[in-house]
Amino acid sequence: LTSLIPRESAILDAFSARLIPSDDNGPGAREANVVRYIDLALAGDYRAHRMAYAEGLRAVDDYATATYGRGFCELTPREQDAVVAAVESGDVAGFASGSTAFFELLREHVLEGMFGDPAWGGNAGFVGWDLLGYTGIRPVWTEEDQQLDVVVPPAHTGLAELRAQNIRSPHEGS
Amino acid sequence: VSTPHPRAADVAIIGLGAAGGIAAHVLTKAGLEVAALEAGPRVRGRDAAFDEIGNDVRNRLSRPKALHEAPTWRPDDSTRSAPSPWPVLMVNAVGGSTLHYPGLSARLLPWNFASRSRAIERYGPSAIPEGSTLADWPLGYEDLEPCYDAVERVIGVSGAAGNIAGRLDPRGNPFEGPRQRAYPMPPLRRSGWTEMTAEAARNLGWHPYAAPAAVNSEPYNGNLDCTYCGFCGSNGCYRDARGSTDTNVIPRAEASGLLRIETSARVVRIEVDATGLATGVTYVKDGRELFQPAGAVLLGAFTYENTRLLLLSSSSAFPHGLSNNHGQVGKHFVAHVTPHVFGVFPGRRLNVFSGPWSQATCVDDWNGDNFDHTGLGFLGGGMLSASHELKPIAIARGPLPRSVGRWGTAWKAWLASHAQSIAAVTGQFDALSYETNSLDLDSHRRDPYGLPVVRVTHRLGPNELRGAEFLRDKLRLWLDEAGAAETWWTDDLPVEGRHSYGGTRMGVDPDGSVVDSFGFSHEVPNLGVLGTSVFPTAGGHNPTLTLQALAWRTAQRLADAWGALANQAVA
Repeated sequence: LTSLIPRESAILDAFSARLIPSDDNGPGAREANVVRYIDLALAGDYRAHRMAYAEGLRAVDDYATATYGRGFCELTPREQDAVVAAVESGDVAGFASGSTAFFELLREHVLEGMFGDPAWGGNAGFVGWDLLGYTGIRPVWTEEDQQLDVVVPPAHTGLAELRAQNIRSPHEGS
Repeated sequence: VSTPHPRAADVAIIGLGAAGGIAAHVLTKAGLEVAALEAGPRVRGRDAAFDEIGNDVRNRLSRPKALHEAPTWRPDDSTRSAPSPWPVLMVNAVGGSTLHYPGLSARLLPWNFASRSRAIERYGPSAIPEGSTLADWPLGYEDLEPCYDAVERVIGVSGAAGNIAGRLDPRGNPFEGPRQRAYPMPPLRRSGWTEMTAEAARNLGWHPYAAPAAVNSEPYNGNLDCTYCGFCGSNGCYRDARGSTDTNVIPRAEASGLLRIETSARVVRIEVDATGLATGVTYVKDGRELFQPAGAVLLGAFTYENTRLLLLSSSSAFPHGLSNNHGQVGKHFVAHVTPHVFGVFPGRRLNVFSGPWSQATCVDDWNGDNFDHTGLGFLGGGMLSASHELKPIAIARGPLPRSVGRWGTAWKAWLASHAQSIAAVTGQFDALSYETNSLDLDSHRRDPYGLPVVRVTHRLGPNELRGAEFLRDKLRLWLDEAGAAETWWTDDLPVEGRHSYGGTRMGVDPDGSVVDSFGFSHEVPNLGVLGTSVFPTAGGHNPTLTLQALAWRTAQRLADAWGALANQAVA
C-alpha cells in the first residue's frame, strides 16, 4: 500500500467486492485488484480525494457497527449490500458532501480499476476486459474485423504488452 | 518588471492549436514572422495514445494549464457558481485540442450563416424566442467556402461530397452548401455498424452520409492512414493519421524558418499603447515574466480563455477589459445540447469498440431549417450521428437501462451478456444565444497564478429543451428502426461544454459584437480573435473545421493588409 492504511484497504476491498462481486460471471473487483488501482491513484492524480476516502470508509464502517454491531468487513454479503445501498441512497451520516457523493466517487474509481488498462494497477489478469468481451488494445482493425457479429477474441494486450511489442510509427524508424 | 524579449515579431499568436496553427501557416506563407506563445509542451500523439484512463478519465493533456482553471458554472446570476457539471477541458500542447479531437469535419449549412433573417422570413418575427440574441453572421457561406476548401486540403479531410457546385450526389450530404470540388480523400471505411445505421436511416426516408473526418482514409501529404484502433477521441494518434495541426500546418510553418514557437509560455496579458493599439503580449515562462513585442496579435486560445484574457487585459484605455468598451466581451455564450440515446441489440456483436468516433453515419435531415418548424416551438436543429469508438470504462459507467441497476450481481450479469451489443447515437442541437447566458470572471475561484477563472452563466431555454428533445425522439426512432430491443437515455439533456461558442462575437455593429466580419476587434484594429468565440451562432455540426476556415480568413486578411497595419502600429 502506498496511500491507504490496512484498515481502509480492507473496507474498500470489501465494499468494491459488493459493487462488482466475484460470481458465476467470473472474477470481480477483488480479483481485478481494484484496491491497488485506487491506492496508487490516491498517491498521485487523485491526491485531492484522499481525505474523502479516509472519512468515507470510516463512516461506512461506523454505520455498519451502529446498525449490525460489527464492522463492514465482518458483515455477511447480504448485510454489506444493505449498507452499500444505504450509502448510495444518501442515508448514511458522517460524509461532508453526503454519502451519495462518496458512493458515486467510489463507484467511478472502482469501474476505472476494474475496466481500465492494467498498466494503471487494476484489471489484473485482464478480468475486467474479459468480462466485457473487449479484446484489448488492437492497433489495426481490418474491414472484416469491423463487420457485425465477427468475434475478435481477447488478446490481453494493454499498454505494457504493447510497449513490449514495440509498436511504433513507421515515421519513427527503429 | 517584464523583461523585453530580444526579438520582435510581426505577429504574436496566443495559443498554437486548431486555429493558431492554421493562422501560423497562412502568415508564414505570406512571409510574415510569427511568434507563437503556447501554454503547453510539445506532445507526440503516440505518447498519449491507447489510454482511456490517462486521457478520457484523467485529462492528462489538460494538465499544463486548463485543468487548473476550469470554468465554473451557474444557471443564473443569483446562484453561486460551482464546478462545471459538464466536461469543459481542452488540450494544452502544440496542436492544441486537435491532438485529441475526433475530427468530425462537416461544414456549417448555408442557413446557419443567416438563421435569424431566414427564420423571420419563413416563420415570422414571433419565431425568435424572447430574450434570444440570435444574429446573422456578417458573412455568408459563399464567403467562407474558399477557406473551407483550403483547410480541408491542408489538414486532410476524408469524405463524400454531397454538392459540388450545385450538382447533388446522394453518396454525400445533400443538404450541404455547394463546394467547389470533392474532398481530398474518400470517406473513412464503412463498417457493419455504420452500414446498419445508414440502412435504418434510409428506411426512415432520411439521407444518411459518411461523416467527413480529418482522419486519413489513405496516406495523405506524407502522413499515414488510419488503422481504426478505437482510440481517437480524447487520445493522441499513435501514427499521426489524424489531421491534428501538429502533424501538418505547424511543422510546415516551422520549416519556413518564420515561425518561432515558445512552449510552456502562459500569456497573462495583451498589452496596448496609449493610442489603443496592441503592442504585444506578456507571458510567464519558467517563473519569469517576459514581453513579446509584435505588430499584431492574434488571440487563438479556447473559447473560455479568449474571453478571460481580454477581461484580464484591462488598461486605462480599456478599463473593463481589452476591446470591451462596448461591454460585449463575454456575451452571447452558447453551448451545444447533445442528447444521447443508447440501444441494445441482444445477441449481436456490433464491434463498435473499434474505429474512430468520426467513422460514423450522419444525418442532416433534422439540422438547420431542413424541415418545416411550423408548430414545433423551436428553431434550428442538429446533426445526428451513429459513431464508433466505445471504450470499456465508458460503457461500464453507463448509463445502462434503469432496470439493470448500477452495481452488484444482476448489473454485472447484464453487462457480461450485453457489452458488445450496446451502441449510442448522438445529436448536436444548435442552441441559441440569450441575453442571460454569458461569461465573466469568477472572483471566488482562482488559478495557480491568482487570476480568476471564467464563470459561465448558462441556462437552457424552452427553445433548447424542445429542440433537443425533438432530436432525442429522432435518435430513438433511428435505433428502433435499426432493430434495438430497448433504448434509453439520461433524463438530463447533456450540454457539450467543449462545443462552446461566443464571448467575442463577430458582427458589424460594435454595440452587438466584439470583432468585425474578418475577426478583428472593433476597438483594437491590430488585434484579431480566432476560434469559436467569434461564432455568432453555434450551428448543428462540430466546431473545429469552421473555426479553422475562419482562422484562415482572418490570417489571410492580416497578411493582405500587413503594410497598412504595420505602419499604423509603428506610427
